[in-house]
Amino acid sequence: MNIKEYISSGVVESYVLGLLTAQERFEFEQYCEAYPELKAARNAFELAIEKQAMENAVPPPASIKEKVLSAIQQKPASNTSKIINMEPTTRRSSGSRWIAAASIILFLVAGYFAYTYYNQTKELKNSNSELEAKVNRTDSILNKMLEEQKIMSDPNVAVVNLTGTTPAKATANIYWDSTSADVYLVVKNMPQLPSDKQYQLWSIINGPGGQLQPSSMGLFDIGDNKKVMLKMGNVKKADAFAITIENRGNTGGPNLEQLQSMGKTRLQ
Amino acid sequence: MSRFWGCFFCLSFDQLLEPKPTYSEQELVVLLNEQDNDAFNYLYDHYSGALFTIINQIVPDKDTASDVLQEVFVNIWRKIDTYDETKGRLFTWMLNIARNAAIDKIRSKGYRDNQRNQPIAEGESGGMAMSSNPSVNDVGLKKVLTTLNEEYRKLIDLSYFQGFTHEEIAKMMGIPLGTVKTRIRTAISQLRTMIR
Repeated sequence: MNIKEYISSGVVESYVLGLLTAQERFEFEQYCEAYPELKAARNAFELAIEKQAMENAVPPPASIKEKVLSAIQQKPASNTSKIINMEPTTRRSSGSRWIAAASIILFLVAGYFAYTYYNQTKELKNSNSELEAKVNRTDSILNKMLEEQKIMSDPNVAVVNLTGTTPAKATANIYWDSTSADVYLVVKNMPQLPSDKQYQLWSIINGPGGQLQPSSMGLFDIGDNKKVMLKMGNVKKADAFAITIENRGNTGGPNLEQLQSMGKTRLQ
Repeated sequence: MSRFWGCFFCLSFDQLLEPKPTYSEQELVVLLNEQDNDAFNYLYDHYSGALFTIINQIVPDKDTASDVLQEVFVNIWRKIDTYDETKGRLFTWMLNIARNAAIDKIRSKGYRDNQRNQPIAEGESGGMAMSSNPSVNDVGLKKVLTTLNEEYRKLIDLSYFQGFTHEEIAKMMGIPLGTVKTRIRTAISQLRTMIR
């Protein structure tokens, strides 16, 4: 800022004479702290004004001094009420009418807002609980997916592709955790079965004499479980996995004529 | 207290140009803050004339101006603790209290109603409401004002003596706000050179 220009702009005189806005006044006071020459200019003009005023002083009526001195001995409140009394009474009554009208309007407005806010709050509460339920559902799905993701990306989990052995081309993937021996199944393409039938997963070990040794990993249905990872049985050693169609609740061995799909593990 | 008076006299003889030496003003402020009656007596004797002149230039009626003066000194007494010497001299502070009180008075409904009942109307010269009192019209700031050109004089009169904001003046005179601001500043700068 060019302080010389600022000083000669008339701002000093405007400040002293009380003609600045609050903002300009604040600014001027800030600059006064920073620029001694601004403060000096202010002081010079103040002295000039004071001198001018003192030279042109006209004594007030002598009675005023007495009134002032007696007024300052009184409590501030009594003086204030005296000033108010100087206002014409009509103004006060019209003023109180306005205040009454204003307070009624204020009351109505406040009531309207209270009602609106009450309704809004009710609506908000409802939509809030809806949202909460939705979030809970989403959360459980997400957790399941995360779990699956974890299994799929685990380096200790081997993937075995089961490919269809019939025209139905039933395919599935096995995720086999080599450390925990857990087996997970993801169905890719398997037709629905009649209600008395179930699919059954088998782990198969190549026996010593070429004898296949199947053991059940569990029965499962296709239905809503499509695309979802199913946790099946638990096996440490398997040369292959196979899926057959069995009677619902089968407890016997595999019906190999109904073999649907099969895949060899890479562990052999 | 007598020490204070003695001090004041010797200094006022030394520095006739300054009505009151700086440290005396500081001392006065300290004493007023302690609600010292002697100091207030001195303050009144010393400054009531100057403040009365400025009030009477805004409020032409002498009795009303006297009422305003009374109110002003009571306010000075009560509000002395709000005076901040870093923001200006004591007289400047009192001058602004006086000016504001006088402007509040001419704007009060009671005063305006009263004026309407007066037999003699004020000068019709476009809002120069206070130019009806010849005894104070041509002294002090007002006298300096007469040396300004007509437009500047009117602007200072409206803003300083009638207390209109720049926005109000712009509306009244039909000129842009920015122009009002610059012209008032210019007019006031000219005042400074004339006052010295």
